[in-house]
Amino acid sequence: MTFKEKVKHTLVNELNLEDVQPQDILNDAPLFGEGLGLDSLDAVELVVIVQKHFGVEIANMEEGKTAFQSINSLCTFIQERNPQ
Amino acid sequence: MKPCNGSGSGPWVRWWWLRFWQLWSLALLIARPGLFVNKCPFFKVLMTRINSQTWSSQSIASRWQHQFFYLAIRLGGRRLAYAFTYPVVCYYMLFRPGLRKRTRHYLRRRFPDHKGLAAFRDSFRLSLSFAKILVDRAIVGIAGPESMDVRFDSMEKIQDLLDHGSGLILMNAHVGCWQAAMSSIHMLDTPVNLLMKREHGDVDRHYHEHRGMPCPYKIIDPDGFLGGAVEIVQALQRGEIISVMGDRVFGNDKNKLKIPFMGETAEFPVGAYKIAAITGAPVAVLFSRKTGINSYALELAGIIRVNPEQDRGLENLRPYVLEFAGLLEGYVQLHPYQFYNFHDMWENQRTEAGKH
Repeated sequence: MTFKEKVKHTLVNELNLEDVQPQDILNDAPLFGEGLGLDSLDAVELVVIVQKHFGVEIANMEEGKTAFQSINSLCTFIQERNPQ
Repeated sequence: MKPCNGSGSGPWVRWWWLRFWQLWSLALLIARPGLFVNKCPFFKVLMTRINSQTWSSQSIASRWQHQFFYLAIRLGGRRLAYAFTYPVVCYYMLFRPGLRKRTRHYLRRRFPDHKGLAAFRDSFRLSLSFAKILVDRAIVGIAGPESMDVRFDSMEKIQDLLDHGSGLILMNAHVGCWQAAMSSIHMLDTPVNLLMKREHGDVDRHYHEHRGMPCPYKIIDPDGFLGGAVEIVQALQRGEIISVMGDRVFGNDKNKLKIPFMGETAEFPVGAYKIAAITGAPVAVLFSRKTGINSYALELAGIIRVNPEQDRGLENLRPYVLEFAGLLEGYVQLHPYQFYNFHDMWENQRTEAGKH
């Protein structure tokens, strides 16, 4: 399983995304609004998920803006801070 | 005017005479603005400048009306400002039926038997009470928090909750004067973050703004990036306080539930309970109420502990929202004229019923 697939599986399981399969999530599709359709409360959960599962803290809004664009940006953000 | 003979009393007489004319002019300006605006070049220029400001007020009163009350507080103190609230509220009740109507959403359900004059009296009492709360808020800002006697017997319980290190969600409602609550909470050493949507163009000042003090709490804008999600999580993880309103759904927020409230179904937001489930923070329901001319009481109405292990779907959060709605209903039964949520919480339910 690639790192991106692992991230997708984690999101689907932890956010209880019904009717969404990990393979349905496009790497460059927006996570919020159109795209995966997450909302601001999912964002709260996402901050905690990233910290809990990948050991990376999103310290402020600017980092959040960078990380939460898409699966691609989220994976890049995590890997830059926690290469393991 | 009687001339002043005494050399010692002259300056005082002139000072009071000047203040009298300032207040009289301002009172006349409130009652008959057309006299000034249409005939006096100074006020033509002044009103043009006020009107040309790019922001449109979301507050009920305009900027200069707020300024009038601030001046009244500075010159005559609380009693003078209170005295002015009576004619102002009378004006709004008699000549602004739209505003009176906004008080009826709640009052109709709190006093279903009150019709006609009794209903008008309810609206007047609620509006007058609200006007005095606004005056009190300004007084806290102008004269300092120490000018208000705030009794809060549950400070130790709040400290105990904070000591667990998961942060604390402080849930308020549109009751009493939450600024008084906030000024009391600052006795704790814990930073407070306020999840607050400030309407663009709001002209009524927050208490700290009167004296140019730095904001004693950090404001998180729910309209900011992802509703301030990152800031909320970080604040709670630092063990800080997040203060939210539990009785108002903003905009098109999907995170809401319909809950029985005062005999009908009303909408309540659920975001705070979901955040509590995610972060493990307890929810302390804190209501304030005015108890005297310069005194308030803060009451810890209840502590809601959201189970972090359960499925966080909206329906699973229903028991917690019900608990809050029950606490709020208990409050309005005891203090019917201190509930200032003028938003129609029951509106969507009626609209949907009309469709069927």
